Amino acid sequence: MSMKFLIVDDSVTMRRIVANSLQNLGFKEYVEASDGKDALLKLSEDDTINFVITDWNMPNISGLELTKAIRSDSTLSSIPILMVTTRGVKEDILEALNAKVNNYVVKPFTPQILKEKIDQILSNS
Amino acid sequence: MKKVTNMTELFEKLNDLKAVFSYGQKIIPVLQSLIDFMRDTVPLLETVNNSIAESTRQIPKASHHITDVTSATELATTEILDIVDVISGEIDQLEENLNSEKEKIVKRKEIFAKLQSQLPDTDENKALVEEYISYNASVEAHAEIAEILQNTKNNVFNITLSLQVQDITSQQLAAVNHLIENVQDKLASLINDLETNDFQNDTPPETDDLRISAPQNSTFNPDAKYDKSSENQDIADSIVKNTKTSQDEIDKLFS
Repeated sequence: MSMKFLIVDDSVTMRRIVANSLQNLGFKEYVEASDGKDALLKLSEDDTINFVITDWNMPNISGLELTKAIRSDSTLSSIPILMVTTRGVKEDILEALNAKVNNYVVKPFTPQILKEKIDQILSNS
Repeated sequence: MKKVTNMTELFEKLNDLKAVFSYGQKIIPVLQSLIDFMRDTVPLLETVNNSIAESTRQIPKASHHITDVTSATELATTEILDIVDVISGEIDQLEENLNSEKEKIVKRKEIFAKLQSQLPDTDENKALVEEYISYNASVEAHAEIAEILQNTKNNVFNITLSLQVQDITSQQLAAVNHLIENVQDKLASLINDLETNDFQNDTPPETDDLRISAPQNSTFNPDAKYDKSSENQDIADSIVKNTKTSQDEIDKLFS
């Protein structure tokens, strides 16, 4: 299956780092969004997006709210979501899992971790 | 008789008055000290008030400076990423050229082997063949170059990964900015109280009113840190693994 990622982060730097990491892992197709609101717009415009990698702390709509919005939308609810964030405390991780993210990566990440989590999600879906 | 009584009362009143005067004489130095103290303290309080007002005026400047630093580091990071992309592209091109060269070496070897078999078996020809081989590039040498290029590519990519520090420090700076803005609000409120004398009627603020915490939906994580150890990821992995088998803990926490 052809993979098309949506990279959601308000940091230009992080979007590029995630994009470069994906390209290094062999995933060439991706689109970017600067916050949750922009991400929902991109998802509504492009139905070929089949994987979301999102930050947590963002303006307008946070990564957590974006996850809840995706999960409550019948047309998007099955899209895998990987949360990539600096928030590493137990309560935050549990809150993200409660919102139904598929997996969780704590920044700073390595490409190995990113690959491992993407592979885990894809093998379970 | 009545005159004597009046005189006695008069003397008693005079004695009372004398007592008041002698008490007054004792209290005057104390009152004088109090006046001196007030005279010294009022300018001091004014200085404190002015200092607070001046600090409050400087705070937005500090806050803007921090925002400028964040923008500058983001710009610099983008420039580094652009250069890294160019270097990575050039390494890819070199690898491609090297692979193409490697195919040519193999082909040249095949052709040379055919030519060698057709050469008369003389000492001179043998020497020439050996000399030719010694100058010819080997597949092994190309493999070494390919390995060096791959290592360089990995190192360049590691620069990219290290630039995650920019995002993390910008969140730390945003947290500092938030703290500064909160201090400014509290100082402004204090100045207002001092100017309007509201503090006379105010009850002391609750400890919670003085605490500064990140807003609920902030765009930064005040606890963000650049920690390359796998400790946090290990915790996350363990929680993800456990919650996949048991949803109870999550339900308990958020029910």
